[in-house]
Parts: sequence; structure tokens; C-alpha cells
Amino acid sequence: MAEFNVNLRDVGSVSVIDVKGYLDAHTAPELENIFNKLLVEKQFKVVVNFDELKYISSAGLGVFMAYVETMRENKGDIKFSNMKENVYNIFDLLGFPILYEFYKEEKEAVHKFGNQG
Amino acid sequence: MRSQLKNIARSRGLENAILLSILLFLFNLIFPLHDSVVLAIINELLVFLSVFFLYHYLHQFLNAKVDSPLTLVLNAGILAALIFFIVSITNSILGSADSSKGIGFFNSLFSVLLAFVFIGSIVYIFSTFRELFFLRQKKDLSTFYNTMLIFFALSFFSNIFILFDSSFDYPKDAFYVVTIVLICLNSTRVSWIAFLTKKQKYYLLIISVILSTLFGINFATFIDNSIMRQIIYTFSPGLHTLMSLVMIYGTINFGIIFFTTLFHLPTAEAFDRKAEEVSSLMDLTNLITQVFDFKELAETITTITTRVCNSDSAWLVLKSDTNIELSSVHNIGYVDADKITNNLLGSGENYDSIEIVQFDSIMSNTNTGGQLFKSIAIAPLKVHKKINGYLFAARHRENNFDQDEKKTVQAFADYAAVALENAKLIEESIEKERLEKELDVARDIQKKILPSTVPTSNRLEISALFVPAFEVGGDYYDFFELSDDLLGFVVADVSGKGISSAFIMAEVKGIFESLSKIITNPKELLIKANDTLKRSLDKRNFVTAIYGIINKKNGTLNFARAGHTPILLCSGERIQSIQPPGIGLGLDYNPGFASSLKEMEIQLKNNDIIICYSDGIPEAKNHKEEDFGYDRLDNIVLNNCEKSLDLISNAVMKELSLFSKNHSQHDDITLVLFKWNQNN
Repeated sequence: MAEFNVNLRDVGSVSVIDVKGYLDAHTAPELENIFNKLLVEKQFKVVVNFDELKYISSAGLGVFMAYVETMRENKGDIKFSNMKENVYNIFDLLGFPILYEFYKEEKEAVHKFGNQG
Repeated sequence: MRSQLKNIARSRGLENAILLSILLFLFNLIFPLHDSVVLAIINELLVFLSVFFLYHYLHQFLNAKVDSPLTLVLNAGILAALIFFIVSITNSILGSADSSKGIGFFNSLFSVLLAFVFIGSIVYIFSTFRELFFLRQKKDLSTFYNTMLIFFALSFFSNIFILFDSSFDYPKDAFYVVTIVLICLNSTRVSWIAFLTKKQKYYLLIISVILSTLFGINFATFIDNSIMRQIIYTFSPGLHTLMSLVMIYGTINFGIIFFTTLFHLPTAEAFDRKAEEVSSLMDLTNLITQVFDFKELAETITTITTRVCNSDSAWLVLKSDTNIELSSVHNIGYVDADKITNNLLGSGENYDSIEIVQFDSIMSNTNTGGQLFKSIAIAPLKVHKKINGYLFAARHRENNFDQDEKKTVQAFADYAAVALENAKLIEESIEKERLEKELDVARDIQKKILPSTVPTSNRLEISALFVPAFEVGGDYYDFFELSDDLLGFVVADVSGKGISSAFIMAEVKGIFESLSKIITNPKELLIKANDTLKRSLDKRNFVTAIYGIINKKNGTLNFARAGHTPILLCSGERIQSIQPPGIGLGLDYNPGFASSLKEMEIQLKNNDIIICYSDGIPEAKNHKEEDFGYDRLDNIVLNNCEKSLDLISNAVMKELSLFSKNHSQHDDITLVLFKWNQNN
């Protein structure tokens, strides 16, 4: 029923995760696997592209909360881009924009990492 | 008429038989010699009726014994031997005195008693033949049998003709011959022999040859012009005919039984095995429905496999995606079975159908602990084309498993597969039940945590509605009477579902309940709550909350929002969503959390309505996976703001259930409303 797809690609030194479909308690483990893989590869600069994400539940949000600390401790971060308005509203309501960086375009987010060196 | 006769014969068989016997007895004592024709005919009739009723009585009696044909045969044999014994004794004692045909009382008493013994014996023997004839017959053969009975009777009565004229004996001879022919035909009905076990067949073989001879000798003595023949013939010529016929019947019947058994002997073993297979399979079928413990069933299956398939050992392994586990062994050690299994399956081989492995070619380099198997049958346990394990049957001997044995091993493997599936299903349903019980516990916790009543006051009307989802969510609301004038309230939502969120919710309640007594500032209270919660929450869990304090005297509302859905304020004709900044509890430590939080104060006007709700409302889905959204909620509230609070929440719930009628409610729904009545 609820389809979810996750894809990982590298843009320069930054890893971009494309999420697609419905991110909820059932599909969250797939995203977690990607993050675990990044931790093993010591890849801490992550942009999540939400362009094709239709829905996110609290369990989906939990995935980012679980990994962001580790990323930041290693001079990396998780940044969000291309978010649809309905998805952004959910993040916004919870106050995520205070804690995370949101960008309209993936390029901007990747670029931001570049500036930081 | 016939059925009536049958009824009389059956219902009062014993009484009739005894009555007629007494009549016969008395008649013969009174008229020891039947010298007139009338007397002879009456005597014949009495004899015949005695035989008839006794035969019917014995039929019922013997019917109960048909399950053990060998006992029937043996009993008949004993009686035949008894006849032989009596005849021999009588002949040897009275043989010399045959000329002295005394009519003395004792002589006639002796002959009558003798006749009675003979009547009893032959009727019993004859009944035995009848039972054997009908044993295991699939078709209705009573016509054949009854025809024979009629000719028996005709032969019996044909003796009367001779009384009139001694040369008029050809009807008797004719009936006699026809009866013998019928006897021969009916004697071939011996299909029950096939169902005996091998041992029983050997037993029957010996008994039948002895009995056939015995009956033959008896027949010869009756035909022979001995004293015995004279005694019986004098008593009743019909009885004599009957006895000789029964003796012929015995000779022929047991002769045929002997040869049939002889021809059945070579196949006896195969038949035994088939019979055992069938009964084992039946036992297994019973077991499957009764035994839920797979281990126990596996033991039975390996035991039966060993026995029925002529193998020396058998064992059963279960196979999952990752490993192979030995479930049960018979006549082989676990270690050996494990070794052989690993050798055969270890390299990831699959046996899709039953296969025979010749051992010495594969296992020559494996030490099987002194047990060297030459041939092993491997049958897969298949359900829905998935292999869940294997059944092994192994032989020390050189000879291969034949086609039949392969089929049998596979049949047992199939049974094991079904049983395994059954056991799994039962386990799953028990697990499901356990989970459902756990959910009940979680629902219980939630119910007890939420307030059972809402506080009431003059100026502040309150209504709260909570609809739990099937899977327990983490919604929570509560009211705290802080003072006469101040009422604190909280509406919160724990992320996630199930028992874990129910536990977090319980913790949240504890935190708010205790903090509300100490801190009267919503922002500070939430900061403190975040500090406490952050320590116990998992990284990926969070709690959204609104904490507010309403002054019941002047209608001011002070509140702060930690990531929760905004407050709706319905004032006059306008509806307004109020969303002061603030991140969810558990998302960040201080000072990040504290700095994000803004406290707000609203001065309520008369008839203003404040609505707090959980995200279960805007995120409710319809069948197209669309959200209910915030606008729909705003409109419903606006259209109903004149009504009472209960009616407003009813209206919301009604719209909501209409919207998501084909979709299950996947999150809790909480709706808390306040109305300020300035004028009261």
C-alpha cells in the first residue's frame, strides 16, 4: 500500500538521500539502513531531498533526530531540501526549522556544505 | 409372510428352540420307533423346526464374533472334533452290538441325547459357515446363500418320500447333488482370508487342513454303515442327510480355505505392510488434529517411518532460511544424524522431490560412528511449494528403496509438513492473542491516565473528547485546579504508537501533574518538562504539548506550545489559528529548547471558544490518502460556533468519520474545547 523508496547518491563530498513516497513507522527502517551505511563510511555530510516525499509520520521524523547528533559531532550535518509545503508544515509545527537547515533547492544545501569546507 | 416368520424366529429364537427341543425330546421318548408314516413326518417336522430356530438364534449370537474369523473357525473345529470323538467312541462301544436293536428306555434316551448333541453341533458349525460366507463381502450375496439353504431343506424333507416308497429315492439324490454343487460354489467366497495377517494365515493354513480332513472323516463315518449312522437314521433320516451335508460343506469349505490361504501366503507380507501403512496414516491423521506440539508428532513420524518403510533409522530435520535443525531421531544418535544431514544438505542442496542417495558413494570418507548406511531416502516437507524440512529414512542393507517405499516415505513427509504448518499457525495465533492482550493493557493504561470528568465552573465551560485508535496512540490531556481562579490544562501527543508510547504517556502525566503544582508559568513548566523528558526519551521519540493556564475570574489565557498543533480561537465570526513558536519536547536540550519557546497571553471575550486538538484530526486520511487538513476543521468550528461545545465536537467527529469512512483510524483523536462566558 504505502510505497517508499530511498536512494543514495554522492554530489561531491556530500551524500544526497532521495526519499520518495510515504515515510512512516513501517518504512523508516529503510532510511535508517542508509544512515547506518553512511556512518560506517564515515560520511557525515548529508542532504535529504524531499522532492518526491508525500507523507512523513513521527517515526519518520525520529530517524533524523536519531542521527543528527552524530553527524554534527563529526563536523557534518543533515540538511533538508526540496520539501513540499504539506511536508514542511509537519516539520514546522514541531519546530524543526529551529534545529535543522531547510533549503528550497538541493544545490543550495550542497553548496552550503562546500562553504563550510 | 416371510418377514413375519423371520421376526418370530429372531425375536423369540431361544424360547422357540427350547420349546421345540422339549417337544422333540418328549415325542421321541413316547414314540421311540417311528413306525408309522405320520409319526415319522411329525418327527421330521419337529427336527427341522428345532434346527431352524436354533440356527436363527445362533446367527445373532455369532454375529458379535465376526471380527475374529479365526475364533469362529476354531470353534467349528472343536465341535467337529467333538462329533468325531462321539462317533468314534459310540462306534467302538456299540459296534459289536449293532444287531441288538433294543427299544429299551435307556437306548432311546441315549439316542435322543446323542441326536441333540449332533443337532446343536451341526447347527453351530453351519452358522459359522454362514458368518464366514458373509464376512468382508462387498456385494449382497444372500440370494446365493438362501438358494443353498432351500436345497438343504429340500434334501432334508426328501427323505419323507422314501418312507412312502423306498425305491422313490431319486429326488433325494437329485437335491443332494444340487446342494453339493451349491456348497462348492458358495465355498469359494473366502475373501476374508486376504485381510488376515501373515501369522494368522499360517495358523489358518494348519487349522484348515486339519479341519478339512476331520470333516471328511466325519462324513465317511456317517455314510458308512456303522452303528452311528443307524442311530441317527433311525432317529431322523432328515437329520442324517443334514449332517452328512454339513460335513461335506466343512470338507469342501476348509479345503478351499486351505488352498486360498496357501496362495495368499506369498503376498501376505506385502499385504501386512500395506495394512500397516494405512493404519499408520490413519493414526497420523488423528495425531495431527490432536497434537499441537510438533516435536511430539515428529517423534511419532520418525518411529512409524522406520517401522513401515523397512528402514533401520529415520530422522526429521526442519529447515529455515538460515539454518537446519534436527527435530527428531529414531534409532540413530543426534550427532550421527546431524553429520549425515550436514553432509547431504550442507552445501545448500535442495531435494525438491523424494530422492534416494546411495551412501557408500557419498559418505565413504565420513565416520558415521560405526553406523554405515547404504541407502538413504530423503523426502522434502513441502507446503505451498516451500520446503520446510526433510524426512530421512536410512538402511544398513544394500537393497534400494522400491517405488512403494518411496511413496510411503513421501506420504509421511507430507503429513509432517502439514503438521508443521499447523503447529506454526497455532503458534502465530497464540502470539497474536498475546499482542492483542498487550494492546488491551496499553489501552487500559491510557484510559486510566486521562481524566474521567472535566472541571466545571460558572464562567468557563469545558468539553473534552477522546477517540482512541485501534493501535494505541499517545494522546494525553489533563486539567489541574491550581487555585480557585486558575485552571491549568495540558494537551499532549507522544510520538509513536503501541505499548511504548503508552508508557511514555504515563511518564508525561507524572511530569505535568507534579510540575503544575510548582510552576505557574507555562513556558517555564515546559522547559522543566523538556529537561526531565529528554533524559528518559529515546533519541527518535518526542512529545508535543500545549500547556496553558486560564484565569477563571478575568478570562485571560496564558499558554506555550511545544511543537503541538496550534490552538484555534473562535471569536465572533472569525476563526484564528494561534501558533506561537516552540519545538517539541525531547527534540533539543536547553538552551535551544528554551530559546525557541514563546509564551502567549490572550484576553478572552464573551463567547470566545478555544480549541486544542491532536494531529489525529488534521492528519486523518480518506481512501485517496488525502489529509483531512486544517481548513476543514476551521470551517466546521466556524459553522457551529453558536452551538454548545458538545455539539461542536460532535460535528467535528461526524465530518471526520464521513471523510475517512473507508480508512481505519490510525491515530488517537483528542479534542478539548473551552468557552468563556463573561456574563455568568
